[in-house]
This record gives sequence, C-alpha cells and structure tokens, in this order.
Amino acid sequence: MRMSLTRFMLCLFVPGFLSACSTLGVEPWERDVLAKDEMQLVSNPLEANIDDHIYFSKEASSGGRGFGGGGCGCN
Amino acid sequence: MKKRNKKFVAKSLATATCALLGTTGTSPVHAQEEPLWKFDTALLYYSESDDRVQDLSLNILAQRSFVDDRLLTLGLTVDSLTGATPIGAAPMNVAQTFTRPSGNSVFSVPVNTAPLDDTFWDTRYAVSAGWQQPLGRLFRGSAGISFSTEFDYTHFGANLGLERDFNKRNTTVSFGIAIAKDDIDPISGSPTPLSSMLDVGDLSNRRSSESKDVVDLLLGITQVVNQNLLVQLNYSYSDSSGYLTDPYRILSLVDPISGDTLARTPAPGTEGPSHEFRYESRPDSRAKNSLFAQAKYYRDGKILDFSYRYMTDDWDIDSHTIDAKLKFPLANDRYLEPHLRYYTQTEANFYRASLTAGEPLPVYASADYRLGNFDAITAGIKYGWRTDSGHDLSVRLEYYRQDGEVPGDQLIGNQLQRDMYPGLDAIIFNFSYRFSLR
Repeated sequence: MRMSLTRFMLCLFVPGFLSACSTLGVEPWERDVLAKDEMQLVSNPLEANIDDHIYFSKEASSGGRGFGGGGCGCN
Repeated sequence: MKKRNKKFVAKSLATATCALLGTTGTSPVHAQEEPLWKFDTALLYYSESDDRVQDLSLNILAQRSFVDDRLLTLGLTVDSLTGATPIGAAPMNVAQTFTRPSGNSVFSVPVNTAPLDDTFWDTRYAVSAGWQQPLGRLFRGSAGISFSTEFDYTHFGANLGLERDFNKRNTTVSFGIAIAKDDIDPISGSPTPLSSMLDVGDLSNRRSSESKDVVDLLLGITQVVNQNLLVQLNYSYSDSSGYLTDPYRILSLVDPISGDTLARTPAPGTEGPSHEFRYESRPDSRAKNSLFAQAKYYRDGKILDFSYRYMTDDWDIDSHTIDAKLKFPLANDRYLEPHLRYYTQTEANFYRASLTAGEPLPVYASADYRLGNFDAITAGIKYGWRTDSGHDLSVRLEYYRQDGEVPGDQLIGNQLQRDMYPGLDAIIFNFSYRFSLR
C-alpha cells in the first residue's frame, strides 16, 4: 500500500504516531531484505564507534545516533 | 518451543551492540541457528598533516549469544596518540617560546607558525561490557558499563536502555540513559583559568585534579516504511557539569592596536614564555540537544545509508551533519562503499582568537579551533570481501578536512594578515576483520 508523504511525516512527528505508523510497515514474511546484516541501522558498530570517536575529538558535536562518545581526554 | 532464527539473532546482536554504544536498535524478526561468538576487529590509523596528531588504534568487539536471545557484548580499544596539536596561541611575526604543560621545560615555534605542542602523546585503554535480553514478548532491555584510562584522564560510565515494539514490530520506541564520571588529572595540576603561563618550575597557579559528570538521555523511534526502507528519528539531550576546560590550551594576550602578542621576559636565570599567554576557561556546565534522522534504503542490491544530525547547545554552538554511504555489491561477495560527510558548526559564544590587553578579562574564553566556526568534509571509500571460510574483511581510506575562520570582528591589526585559524587535513585508514566461532 503506498503511503502519502503527509501520513509518513505525521507518523514520525505527531504524538498519535503509533496509530499513524500502524499503516506503514511489512508483514513478518516480507522481511527478507530488512533482515540482512547490512540493512541494520548500525551495520558496522565498530566502525561507527571509531568514527564517532574521531569526530568527537575534532568537532564540538557528538552522538545523535547514540550516546555522546567521550570518555576520553580528547575534547 | 522457540525456534531460533539467524536473522533474529543477527538483529539482536546489532541491537545489543547499539545498546552498548547507546544507539537505538531495530526490530528483530524471528530466528535460526547463529554462531556462538562473533568478533569484530579493526585497526585504525589516523594522521594529520604538518606533524600534527597521529593515532594508531586496535579495536575489538566480541559478542556472545545465549539461549532466549540474550547477548553479551565486550569491547576493548587501545589507542596510541603522538604528534602535536594547536594550543590556541596566535601565530606571530617573531619566534615564540612556551612553557610545557609539565612546567619543567620550554619549547619554541618559528615565525608565522601556528603554535603546536608536541608533548601531546598518550596511550589510552578502554573497555566496555553490555548485556541485552528480551523482557516479555515486546520489550528488550539493555545495560552496559564502560571504563577508560590514559595518563591524565579516567572515565567510568554506565548505561541502561529499554525498547518496545509496536505494529507487528514495524515500529520500535527506544529510551536510553547513560551517565559518566570522568576524572581529569592534568600533568603538574590544572592551571587556574585565565591565569598566566609562568616560567619553568613555577607551579604557583596550578591546582590539583578535576572531575566532570555527564548525563545523556536518548529517545528514539525506528520505523519500517516498506520492504526496502527503514528510518529512525532520535532526540538526545546531554548535560555535562564540572571541569570542561582543556588544561593545556591557552590564548595570546595581544596589543589592542597592532594585534601582536605582548612580549615578556622570563625571570633572571630561568626559562619561560617569550610572550603573554593565558590559560583558557570554559563554563562548568554544558547542555546539548540533538535531533538525528537516518534512512536505510535498499534497491537492486545497493544500499544507501543517509543521515542528518542537528545539534544545538547552551554555548551557542549549532551544528549540522549530513552523512551518506552507498554500498555497491560486486561479484564474489565483494563490495565497494563510497562515503561522503559534510559538517558545519558555529563558534562557541566564548570562542576568541585572542585576549586584548587593557580590556577586562572575560569570564570564559577559549581559542580552541574545535570550538570555532568551521566546515568539514570527509570523502572516502571502503572495499570489502569475504574469505572462503566466511570471514569478512575490509579496508577503508578517507580524507578529512576542516576549514574555518575567526569571525572578522575578532581580528585586530596585524592579525588580519595572519592565518589565525589552524584548520585540519587528515587521512583515516581502517582495516577490519570480522569472524565467528561456534
């Protein structure tokens, strides 16, 4: 079923998102692509950790995807 | 009787690791047999141009799955840092001499050179452990601890996370909290903020050790849009309090007309700074708000990973980060993944190129280029392949560049002709090896 952009945005941003979101998604048997390792949101946690640490040391922002990096004397 | 699914456990492993790192995971699917131990190892080489910072690090992540989808994750990182870093002093049309952070000796920089301190070397060890398990049918909980140590810095951290699935596991809501207690023990004691850099052997402005506390909160929602598209939206809040100053960075005290750093003579019989420098001072609290959005899209075997992050804090720093990766599969389980990242930030409200003599000292001031106004680009490519025994290897090469500038109204006199903002050019090389054991 195609979802309109409006409904998609509502799903993400409006408090009633759970009911809006119930119209998006797939059936359990349609998850072949989503189950691939490389389709995970963080498909390479170690690489993400390495990069987060580099950017935490050299920039004034951190995290977003997760907790803020840090735990070092590098910033 | 529960049937374990390979894909479910793979997702749980990813979720567990994400929980360990404090990220939000994705909804698992139902499962098959899975290796008992999974190892992820990486060697990183980071190198800045002009004899600046170089870092060589070894990173290991080990995951052990147990029955009923419980997961243990263990991490170890060893980092070896060498090289020099800009200390915040302004370049000058004469050579300059500085007292080292230890207070035991001096170092000099030539004319028209951004002053760098090459005593910036250290080895850091970091360990972490995390546990994740289902709580009932639709909830997952996680807990983790972390510890790191380097010669002047120790970190202790703990985190908790909770996730719940909705809508046939198409929607996942996550909540996480992390706390950290860090102890900072600068060599020869932390200098009193905004005090002068003194002669060799004079530690009268040094205090003892310091500490800092950080609390992070994360609220996220992950949504399966269709068979090929997964999106995530996270809001995070971070509160730091305590000693947030860099004990080794300084500002130059300059003449209000010429913009030249005021000259100084060390006491007779001693060595010391050739000019007037003041140690920096940052507020003792910082509150950050971030909004992060990510999409993962699959089409014709290729995967696009796109994310955007907005950060704003009470130091008046605003930043935007856009990151995109595109994975191209090649024959025989190989792939290529180009990567592009763009970052921009505005300067902290206490960022100063220098301090002006004759004016009252501000309460907070820092010339640390990392709190300045700059853009940064990362461009890289990764090549991966799989061995006959099913182990995954990859090599990644990236170029990272920062370009910034001091706000025009901060520059005085001769500073307008000098390159007052150091910038950065670095190469990132990463080799990684992932394998499983039964």
